[in-house]
Amino acid sequence: MSSTAHRDTLFVEQAPIIHNHRCPGGQYLLRLKAPICAQKAQPGQFIHLQCDPHLPLRRPLSILSTDADAGVVDLLYLPVGQGTQTLTTRKAGEILDLIGPIGQPFSLPAHASRPLLLGGGVGIPPVLFLAARLAANAHHQPLAFLGSELPFPFDTRKAALDIPGLPTEASDTLSCCEDWGIPTRLSSRAGLPGCFNGFVTELADHWLKQLAPAERAKVTIYACGPHPMLAACAALAKAYQLPCQVSLEEHMACGVGGCAGCVVETQQDGQPRMQRVCVDGPVFDAYQVF
Amino acid sequence: MTAEMLAHDDELAIRFCGLSFATPLVLLSGCVGFAEEYTRVAGFSHRQTGAVCLKGTTGQARLGNPAHRICETPMGMLNAIGLQNPGVDYVVKHILPTLDFSETRFIANVSGSTVEEYVEVTQRFEDSPIDAIEINISCPNVKQGGVAFGNDPAMAARVVAACRAVTQKPLITKLSPNQTDIAHSAHCCIEAGTDGLSVMNTLMGMAIDAETRRPVLGNNQGGLSGPAIKPVALLKVHQVYQVAKRHNIPIIGQGGVSNARDALEFLIAGASAVGIGTALFYDPLICAKINDGIRDYLTRHQLRHVSELTGSLTLNSPARPPVSCGA
Ligand SMILES: Cc1cc2nc3c(=O)[nH]c(=O)nc-3n(C[C@H](O)[C@H](O)[C@H](O)COP(=O)(O)OP(=O)(O)OC[C@H]3O[C@@H](n4cnc5c(N)ncnc54)[C@H](O)[C@@H]3O)c2cc1C
Ligand SMILES: Cc1cc2nc3c(=O)[nH]c(=O)nc-3n(C[C@H](O)[C@H](O)[C@H](O)COP(=O)(O)O)c2cc1C
Ligand code: FES
Repeated sequence: MSSTAHRDTLFVEQAPIIHNHRCPGGQYLLRLKAPICAQKAQPGQFIHLQCDPHLPLRRPLSILSTDADAGVVDLLYLPVGQGTQTLTTRKAGEILDLIGPIGQPFSLPAHASRPLLLGGGVGIPPVLFLAARLAANAHHQPLAFLGSELPFPFDTRKAALDIPGLPTEASDTLSCCEDWGIPTRLSSRAGLPGCFNGFVTELADHWLKQLAPAERAKVTIYACGPHPMLAACAALAKAYQLPCQVSLEEHMACGVGGCAGCVVETQQDGQPRMQRVCVDGPVFDAYQVF
Repeated sequence: MTAEMLAHDDELAIRFCGLSFATPLVLLSGCVGFAEEYTRVAGFSHRQTGAVCLKGTTGQARLGNPAHRICETPMGMLNAIGLQNPGVDYVVKHILPTLDFSETRFIANVSGSTVEEYVEVTQRFEDSPIDAIEINISCPNVKQGGVAFGNDPAMAARVVAACRAVTQKPLITKLSPNQTDIAHSAHCCIEAGTDGLSVMNTLMGMAIDAETRRPVLGNNQGGLSGPAIKPVALLKVHQVYQVAKRHNIPIIGQGGVSNARDALEFLIAGASAVGIGTALFYDPLICAKINDGIRDYLTRHQLRHVSELTGSLTLNSPARPPVSCGA
């Protein structure tokens, strides 16, 4: 709790907005010039952002992607309340104060594996960041299922990369994932075309069921999304006895570990512990949370 | 240069309960964990503060309250952390040895459910390198139906006297605003032997989610902090100062300080030091800015030292008999 190893690992940056535009479905893509964050961020980490000078607290947003050479960080957010709504009004050239990159990222297995990425709603950004990193690593064979009730804020197209075992209605994919060579399918219960009508965990179940046991044993689940989705992901992982990492959300004040306001109860060695989502997470071992 | 010399040379350095503070700024209990947390942030330094109050510490480890523990409110926030801490033994054995006492003064924050627990925790800190002990009397007294010690001046004084008996270190009592007459309570705590006062702790409040018809906080109610409570805190500091100044008891003024102007107002109201809590959540680098702002003010007002501001308030003299009802 109190070692000096973590000193000077978070950075406050005055980040100019490069663009902040509305995507189909009403989410916003925000690009910030934040060179330190762009250089250091790992998939699963987030930034703590001053959205509105009239609000006393910052807002946590996951990192969607980074370009270290250009020094930029991309975020994707859904306006829900005053903080994120005010954020939609901020224009290119304005400066946003951020702290980042915060938190324990997803951890990747050292040996060859089959990462199964599950993202839902505003939980999609960190999963896509992870997908981009995995695409650059020939070691692994990733696969992604993404769910949304709003139209996807990214280009979609008919999938060319095959995923066995799925219902035929799941025909579409995200163009970026396909370009990275990551087989991906989409789900929605809002009747979006080309999407499976159901949950991402159902798609995952279809795929896992048809895998040979030796291949299935190589799967690790990485999930981010609403709490019920994460609970379903944890249940799926337990059913197939697979490792599972989940990225959680909780109300945050400081975002740096100081206030203990953002805790989640975890179980370790049969003992309950209260761990901070901001710095002990947001990524946790699903078996300790659910 | 010794700390003693610094105290005279630097316009911001103060003496507080016999301790040398590099600046009048004190990081408040519960907002900065056990002090190492904010050092994660590049550019933050304990050297920009006079002292740092550690998280409230109890006899045994406590898990604290379930989520949600915090909730934003208009210009403030509610918190109900529930004193999550690893227990005094762990703090003394494993945390204090990692702190760099050359950077600032570290103050323990003592909590308990019984007078005995306050005494036990204070005693344990007495045999440690901690610089001072702040007792948080806003905790519920389990032997008195859960009424906070701080809500009853007699009960508050009993806690102070019992802790006083077991420590030679500077003892600071943190007063609760959730009581009728804070000045009377301050008087009782001074008589019981406190060396300093923290004014004030959070105001109790509630947030309700109309959709679910449930309180937002896991604990149903919590403490309100941030700019929303500043006017209340300023009045409490002013009221307590009227009593404290007669006994030379210094005050750490706190409640919603978010810039240099706020800090100056607390000093003028009677505080010798100023606490920064919730404002750090919005700006972790705020201390350097507040220090600079105070220096600017001293220059503009041709003051040699920040201590000249303490209690420098000149009250208006109302033409008619004063009314206290705000009408
Ligand atoms: C680690 C993390 C990563 C996140 N990543 C994203 C992302 O990439 N894209 C995105 O759209 N949203 C994300 N969220 C959720 C986002 O932080 C909230 O939607 C946002 O804080 C809402 O603020 P508001 O003022 O618009 O809403 P309000 O409801 O008015 O907010 C009131 C208070 O509640 C808090 N709050 C409300 N909803 C949430 C929530 N879901 N999680 C945490 N605090 C909340 C706010 O921060 C604020 O303190 C993330 C949350 C966390 C914890
Ligand atoms: C998240 C949080 C946790 C707190 N925990 C404690 C505590 O453990 N002990 C204590 O005496 N005060 C605690 N406080 C109260 C603060 O120390 C401070 O007195 C109060 O928040 C008012 O100052 P502020 O408005 O600048 O935050 C806590 C406050 C917050 C916001
Ligand atoms: S938000 Fe303060 S500890 Fe996580």
